[in-house]
Amino acid sequence: MLRIDPDTGRQKWFRSEGAKSVLSAVISILIGMAVGTLIIIAVGLTKEGISTKGIGEGIRLVFLGVFSTGRSGGTLTFGYNPVNLGNMLFRATPLIMTGLSVAVAFKTGLFNIGAAGQYLMGTMGTLTVGLVLGNAGCPVFIAWIAAFLAGMLLGALWGAIPGVFKAYLNINEVITCIMTNWIAANLVTWWFDSHEIFKNAAEGGKIGYIIPLKNVGVVTPKLGMNLLFPGSQANGGFWIACILAVAMFIMLTRTTFGYELRACGSNRHAARYAGINDKRNIILSMMISGALAAAGAALYYLSGNTEFFWSTYQSLPAEGFNGIPVALLASNNPVAVIFTGVFMSMLNVAGTQLKSLTAYNEYISDIIIAVIVYLSAFSMLIKQVLNGREKKKGGNK
Amino acid sequence: MVFLIQQTLLFAVPLMIVALAGVCAERSGVINLALEGIMIFGAFIGVLFIRIMQDLNLFDKEEGQILLLLTLLVSAVFGGLFSLLLAFSAINLKADQTIGGTALNMLAPAVVLFFIVLIAQQNTLGMSKGSAAGWFMIRPSTFGLPKDYSWGFLGDLILNKVYLSTYICILVFIAVSVILYKTRFGLRLRACGENPQAADSLGINVYKMRYAGVILSGVLAGLGGFNYALTTAGCSATGAVAGYGFLALAVMIFGNWTPLNIAAGGLLFGLFKCIAATYSTLDINGDGVYMLAEIGISPYIYRMLPYVITLVVLAFTSKKSRVPKAEGIPYDKGQR
Amino acid sequence: MTSEYVIEMNHIRKEFPGIVANDDITLQLKKGEIHALLGENGAGKSTLMSVLFGLYQPEAGTIKKDGVEVKINNPNDATALGIGMVHQHFKLIDVFTVLDNIILGAETTTKLGFLKKKEARKKVIALSEKYGLKVDVDAKVEDITVGMQQRVEILKMLYRENDILIFDEPTAVLTPQEIDELMEIMKGFAKEGKSILFITHKLNEIMAVSDRVTVLRKGKCIGTVNTKDTNKQELSNMMVGRPVQLEIQKEPAKPGDVVLHVENLKVPSKIHKNDAVKGISFDVRQGEIVCIAGIDGNGQTELIHGLTGLEKTSAGKISLCGKDISNASIRKRSQAGMSHIPEDRHKHGLVLDYTLEQNMVLQSYMQPRFQKHGFIRFDEVRKYADQLIDDYDVRSGQGAVTVARSMSGGNQQKAIIARELDRDEPLIVAVQPTRGLDVGAIEHIHKQLIAERDKGKAILLVSLELDEVMGLSDRILVLYEGKIVGELDPKNTTVQELGLYMSGAKRQGEEAASC
Repeated sequence: MLRIDPDTGRQKWFRSEGAKSVLSAVISILIGMAVGTLIIIAVGLTKEGISTKGIGEGIRLVFLGVFSTGRSGGTLTFGYNPVNLGNMLFRATPLIMTGLSVAVAFKTGLFNIGAAGQYLMGTMGTLTVGLVLGNAGCPVFIAWIAAFLAGMLLGALWGAIPGVFKAYLNINEVITCIMTNWIAANLVTWWFDSHEIFKNAAEGGKIGYIIPLKNVGVVTPKLGMNLLFPGSQANGGFWIACILAVAMFIMLTRTTFGYELRACGSNRHAARYAGINDKRNIILSMMISGALAAAGAALYYLSGNTEFFWSTYQSLPAEGFNGIPVALLASNNPVAVIFTGVFMSMLNVAGTQLKSLTAYNEYISDIIIAVIVYLSAFSMLIKQVLNGREKKKGGNK
Repeated sequence: MVFLIQQTLLFAVPLMIVALAGVCAERSGVINLALEGIMIFGAFIGVLFIRIMQDLNLFDKEEGQILLLLTLLVSAVFGGLFSLLLAFSAINLKADQTIGGTALNMLAPAVVLFFIVLIAQQNTLGMSKGSAAGWFMIRPSTFGLPKDYSWGFLGDLILNKVYLSTYICILVFIAVSVILYKTRFGLRLRACGENPQAADSLGINVYKMRYAGVILSGVLAGLGGFNYALTTAGCSATGAVAGYGFLALAVMIFGNWTPLNIAAGGLLFGLFKCIAATYSTLDINGDGVYMLAEIGISPYIYRMLPYVITLVVLAFTSKKSRVPKAEGIPYDKGQR
Repeated sequence: MTSEYVIEMNHIRKEFPGIVANDDITLQLKKGEIHALLGENGAGKSTLMSVLFGLYQPEAGTIKKDGVEVKINNPNDATALGIGMVHQHFKLIDVFTVLDNIILGAETTTKLGFLKKKEARKKVIALSEKYGLKVDVDAKVEDITVGMQQRVEILKMLYRENDILIFDEPTAVLTPQEIDELMEIMKGFAKEGKSILFITHKLNEIMAVSDRVTVLRKGKCIGTVNTKDTNKQELSNMMVGRPVQLEIQKEPAKPGDVVLHVENLKVPSKIHKNDAVKGISFDVRQGEIVCIAGIDGNGQTELIHGLTGLEKTSAGKISLCGKDISNASIRKRSQAGMSHIPEDRHKHGLVLDYTLEQNMVLQSYMQPRFQKHGFIRFDEVRKYADQLIDDYDVRSGQGAVTVARSMSGGNQQKAIIARELDRDEPLIVAVQPTRGLDVGAIEHIHKQLIAERDKGKAILLVSLELDEVMGLSDRILVLYEGKIVGELDPKNTTVQELGLYMSGAKRQGEEAASC
């Protein structure tokens, strides 16, 4: 039991809590990067065709990938690269949203590993409504809102399924989430397979893709991003994600609804005892979670020039699973999710740079992310121990 | 008919053995969500091992069965090694087992793909030469008989166009089930998943038993992973096993953590998987009519079916299910 | 050189973070004696026994067996020395059979590791017959009674051929008659030359069965006395450290109007297909404490869950202050006038990860006082929590912002009682409100409940402690197998009679069964 001076204890406690979260996240990140570096060195030393210089380049790109400006005269150059940075923020947008999705579910005691399926359902809803309304000549503003909401609605619906199974049948949400992921993958493929009007037949080489929303003019406004990062894909979607993150933070920490949700997550029995409708809250929490993940897909495809490969029945979008490390690194704090989402996106950009500029490939960043998740599994625990919040008191029984 | 039964077995056996892998871990008290990752890893190691052996010219086509046995052993061992990562985080560090398992599920494809791309310059790693069927499938010529030789219905069912690994897996399945229920080791393992405090008070080392459970789980999942890669992916590794590990978890849950029910559940799902994979060429009663293909239902519906059925079955069996009580709860000697 | 003592624990010290559980404790056990270890909850008895059993390692001190110093690193070492223990919370595997539970950890096997169950079975049955410990070896532990579970625990020790037997609070779950039986069995063991350590906080049992008593208080050894040279009052003073009133002081009840009316209530069981509460009816009036007595597992939990709405009832009518609440939600019932001090403070009573102030408003956060347009009014919550902490003397490290998990059990319970009593509802449902607390806290809570009664509250109390049942209540309803088998007036009844009702040997309205 950690005893803190009662006069100053309160402030200290809050401060150290946040500090410990950041500290443990930084430690996880550093170890993850170190593992990535070690792999690069080990592979470089054992594989023919990678020189010492190649190893050095690989390491530099892992850490500084977003600042890479390519290669000139045989050496890598680094500097301010608005395209890379803008694309990093653009790609961070869906990660922030799926990270939020996972974080909100975690706060209410649920492990939403179904963000991938919810993301796919969001993709389907947004693209379908966006294309239909866009083609029908509906005002862009209304079409945008309708497409965004349609995606969120389908995501909420998809999140509700594991929620209902958990609330009424007490079936572990992990297993139902995984099943709904694969059902979504097949469902979405089926939907687009059987509706030729959505398929991009006009542009050569785009067979297998859905018509991008820019073709019908339903596109998220840039909201200043084009000035900050000219030439990149960044748009206002990033700001929308930030606003949603802050909204989630307020909802969870300041409202009675958040109080109920967290009570259910922390101790479902006590919540029930206090008259809180635990079943309703579990389902609502999964629906919010699903809507957030789907909103990530909506924002991604509403950027306009992103293209969806519809025959997805054998694979699930990585954004869904990468929401897990985003949330874990942020200790499930919705505001912190913005920063960890950007960080994950930075790693991805580094991965693509590695692939295009060196003999290594982009999967090194996936390895780093996986290592970070592995570490975060017990970094939370280390934090708990530091706080003296043992799970059970090892007292006199 | 022979084709249908054999195909069902091909899908069912990896499911069964991996579901049993889940049982070994969960009966000892550790949730093994990493089955999918371990399968991916086992599949990759198996294919890689075959490639290396082929490149070194240590085996030729006629010795395929020996190479296969060795490969099974290797992927089992590496599956066990990979699962140590889960054991360490779950048992020593008392970390959240769901998150630990998820980490391994992310780590396995990342590592595997990283190396596959390095080795093969593409996203699929296959054999160096020949094909899975050519090297490993049992058929009349394996026994030096003419190509169109027939052993009769039953003989063909058991011996023609099958893989030895399928039978190895079935044997291992039976052996592990017996160990779980008839031996001292099994009794103690199950005790640790139900009430580790009680087991500890009787002098059983809970940490050791849980390590044993997780490693055994990794061994079986590695075996299942390679078996999947061999029989349904033509002996290639792609850094994915199409959700098989998770499907196995579902089979484990509605199999109520008992081997017999798991075998039944595995067969049921094998059948649905088999229909989904082969419906367009499926000629059930041998009259030359591909009935399922002619109904005109989208293939995606068939592919969805195993997952939908899993949900439905879970919904109906959830009330009766009997989860190992201490599963997912880290054991701490200091707390009792 | 042989020692007079089979076991000596000398100057044992054991610390946990923030607390010294055992401080320089010496305990000597003679061969063939029954040695009682007396102390309050939290005095360090269980810790000391866990040290002897190898579950904990002491920071200082030595253990001698027959005069020779030994090191006990784990339960295996203890078993090898012949030490066996019946734990307070049984260490049984619910889904295993009785036989599997007995052999677990001491299995005999073939060379290949296969279990030799037939042999084991013979041995268990022989032991069971020899000592009159009746068990069904093939039944699953979850299906047998608590009494039989205890016999399984005893058989576990005998199967391992232990001759130093530790009983940790063995009588807490038994009826008075079963307790007598156990005492006889213990005496039989002692006569056979086995040595027994008997941990308890119940003075009657000590006087009845033990040869010597060692008293612990707050982790320290107060002294060892011969039972025949002492008396209950002296032991009780040693245990608590001050003179204790053994009786609860209260005025006679003045019952008023009916507050809670229950008619033919049935509640399904979670374990069995049958109902756990099989159609019971009773009233609770203003200004009286009605106690539901019975052995654990006779439907008390289900009854309370049915009343409070935590569990759906299968039939019957419940009305509170004249309002039918038979099918109302938990919140509706609570708002209709029901406070609930739950059985399990960790499971139901508190959200352990919440701060104390957040827990204080667990039942009232949605009231306009604490929220505006769905946003929590943090300043009001803090004010209210600080006031409750003051009024009910809840102690914690950092006041209102202490995380509930880090508080002591007694203060957690005080916090729950503060929250529930301050709501000022006409009905208070209190389930085992003093479980696991020390004498001071128990006295305090008893006084508060009596004060509430005298204010005109109706109180429904569920308790397993017979002293509490007899001392606190104005009326006793005995629950046996889901039915009320007797209504007793504590002034006109004895513990023995209560015990007969509790064990089902006697019931009102029928001829008493043979006993």
